[in-house]
Amino acid sequence: MTVSSFNHVKISGVKTVIPENYVDIDDELEFFGNNPKKLERAKKMVGYGRRYLADELTTVTDLAVDAAEKLFEEMSIDKNDIDILIFVNQKPDFREPNDACIAHGRLGLKKSCATLPIVLGCSGYPYGLWLASALMQSGFFKKCLLLAGDVPARATDQKDRKKAQIFSDGASATILEYTSEERLSYFVNGSDGGGWDKLVVPFGGMRLPFDKASFDIEETDENGNKWRANLSLMKGADVFNFTMDVAPKLINEILDVSGWAKDDVDLYAIHQANKQIVENIIAMSKIPEEKTPVDVFSKYANSSTNSVVTVVCDQQKPLKKVVLCAFGVGLSWGAAAVDLSGMYNGGISTYIPPKDRPTREEQIKHWINYFKGEE
Amino acid sequence: MTNEEFLSKMQDVLQTEEELKLDTVLDDLAEWDSLSVMATMAFLDKDFGVKTTMKDYKNVKTIGDIAQKAGL
Repeated sequence: MTVSSFNHVKISGVKTVIPENYVDIDDELEFFGNNPKKLERAKKMVGYGRRYLADELTTVTDLAVDAAEKLFEEMSIDKNDIDILIFVNQKPDFREPNDACIAHGRLGLKKSCATLPIVLGCSGYPYGLWLASALMQSGFFKKCLLLAGDVPARATDQKDRKKAQIFSDGASATILEYTSEERLSYFVNGSDGGGWDKLVVPFGGMRLPFDKASFDIEETDENGNKWRANLSLMKGADVFNFTMDVAPKLINEILDVSGWAKDDVDLYAIHQANKQIVENIIAMSKIPEEKTPVDVFSKYANSSTNSVVTVVCDQQKPLKKVVLCAFGVGLSWGAAAVDLSGMYNGGISTYIPPKDRPTREEQIKHWINYFKGEE
Repeated sequence: MTNEEFLSKMQDVLQTEEELKLDTVLDDLAEWDSLSVMATMAFLDKDFGVKTTMKDYKNVKTIGDIAQKAGL
């Protein structure tokens, strides 16, 4: 695993935004054979609760831009001070260009702002913090805006019960600043690209572009879960084993690197893959239970890239030493030990879509006219 | 871990009220589903350092077969 540390970068603010629509597992008794006992057992074992779903017109960029606009206002940040914009997500608005550039335009950031995407899912936020910190440490830049999030729930067929009850949508904005005072942060990163197909969307890229026939593919497995070519595939048990393997070691390594004692940490923000997984990671890494939330999964489900941020934003009390640990698609993992003293925590707000959004049909018409040169 | 301790822990892992014995047939338990397999995988890994995969459970018939995997 790669280890790094920085001493002049502070995280000065963070805010999460979630969609207004949600589904409660209690309203989905039909998927548990209409058996309340089965439902209660699944809630107890895995922690199923509430999950938030972006509607069919809302993208990760809509959520992240909203988070950034709210954070700028709440922290009275002049957007002209943003020198770097990094956007981490796995389910972008378009195949090109990248969402970082789109967010840059929508936020009206200055043209001298360096803008780049990171394509990662669940492990992405520590990676974003790491890259932002490495750049900010140079002292060349004043402020960095780190956007992170995803819409895995919108991208999942709600009848695919391997994934539907797990995923949630959400995004965040984080501000990092250069500080001349000493402010230490530590990072551990790693990857196992050999497991690239454990979480995969096989169609739609240049390897396997969509054609007419691919839209006719609809497969049903022995449990009645459906898969179509535009949807992701997950080898759940393999991902589970990967997590059990990597996460406890990752936590112990970031503690080693930072030199922090287990009890000195105020909060362990572990990727909320599900409650069962987080509980097993706690037991295997022997970190304090009372400092490691597992209920964020029940309150907000697994919001992929934004999951560890949601854990931080859900905290009511001021935080100092925080360990973040995330892992997932890639396969990829990252951990950070960061000092959040004095950080503004903007909590979790709801995204209200604008009333005048173009419909899907209007968007299609726009691109046809765009091609014909009529717009 | 004794067999008695193992059986009591398995009851908790599977979240079942049935009293378990080594010869309890898994398919006879209403609770033996994919959630239980995951929970069992985590239990064997955490408490015995034994890694299993979903496929390993295709040939598992009884609670005793799981105890055997755990090395009991």
